[in-house]
Amino acid sequence: MIAALVAALPADVDAAAPRPMAGGRKAAERALATIDPVAYAASRNHLDGAVTRLSPYLRHGILSLDEVRNHALAKVADPRQAEKFIQELAWRDYWQRIYLAHPDRIWNDVEVYKTGFDASEYDTELPADVVEARTGVACIDQFIAMLHETGYLHNHARMYLAAYVVHWRRVRWQAGAAWFLEHLIDADPASNNLSWQWVASTFSKKPYIFNLDNVAKYTGHDINTRMSDNRVLACSYEQLSELLFPNLEPAHG
Amino acid sequence: MADLIWLHEGALRRTHPVFAMAAPGTPAIFVWDRARLAAGHVGVRRQLFIAETLAELELEIHDGDATVLLPQLAVAHGADRLLVPASPDPAIIGQLVMIRQAVPALTVEQVADTAFVTLSQEPDLARFFRYWNKARKAALRPHGV
Repeated sequence: MIAALVAALPADVDAAAPRPMAGGRKAAERALATIDPVAYAASRNHLDGAVTRLSPYLRHGILSLDEVRNHALAKVADPRQAEKFIQELAWRDYWQRIYLAHPDRIWNDVEVYKTGFDASEYDTELPADVVEARTGVACIDQFIAMLHETGYLHNHARMYLAAYVVHWRRVRWQAGAAWFLEHLIDADPASNNLSWQWVASTFSKKPYIFNLDNVAKYTGHDINTRMSDNRVLACSYEQLSELLFPNLEPAHG
Repeated sequence: MADLIWLHEGALRRTHPVFAMAAPGTPAIFVWDRARLAAGHVGVRRQLFIAETLAELELEIHDGDATVLLPQLAVAHGADRLLVPASPDPAIIGQLVMIRQAVPALTVEQVADTAFVTLSQEPDLARFFRYWNKARKAALRPHGV
């Protein structure tokens, strides 16, 4: 039956091609055995940092949050050394609690946008150049290609892409959230959609934005962060706020 | 009492508490429900990941609509209780309602996973750090208690 199901999948994914994470409990246990909560805390924001890649196993209940936390605690002398890692597990628990208590929040704005724009001023569809990884912003196109080719993105790259789609292209977060759900092997409606809302500012106090310096700081040499290839990102945060949110009062002080 | 376990794509492991709730040897079923996968935007790569995981689990796997197949399978297995890992997914919750309606004699029970944290009262979910400030102490202890 499994072979028949796999054979029936569309041919745009090669079942034999190398992928970032294999399915199954055995693969999950191998990944769990290698986690390093201390290294995670120090480097998790970097694309080449000591991230655990446990997310697809947690998403599908192949591992429970409880057993991953217990494993992390067993690897450190003091629980506080594992706090950053456990806090990330807590984010997942938090999103799941919201999903259960307020399922309507998964696809609807929890709050209004704090961008100076009304929801009706955002496009409802992803632009074709985004879907086709030809936005002309080099690092963004690389992240899109990574998403499509591997089904996995580092969390920081997800935030960059989400912010670019919502704030630079003024597209509703729902369109981007559905796109990620379709491609990410760890996509969970609660973690994914509510994180998009956090970036959009419909579930946070202010919109999340980034600039090229931030991308350069957290990515390696394989990501193109040349200014000439990423002009729309090569600004200070103050300049970006004025460009992206012209209806907002400038921040003082 | 004869049980049947419905394992869905949110709880793909043999150590889930749903197995401890059932009698030893209770059959476990997975339904490859294409319509629900499509409605949940489950792309091809994720379907492949799920299929790989199922290959290790030694379940009965059926291809079709869960709301049609599960009532039939419950009857075929002589089950009077369907045990299901608890899920926040409205699609799964909706299917459980339809299964109950299709077989009123079948008891349908959702079984919660082991808790990440056990809290004395419901936390404020308006912002993460309100939740975290209440959950932190338990979260940093084994089994979250």
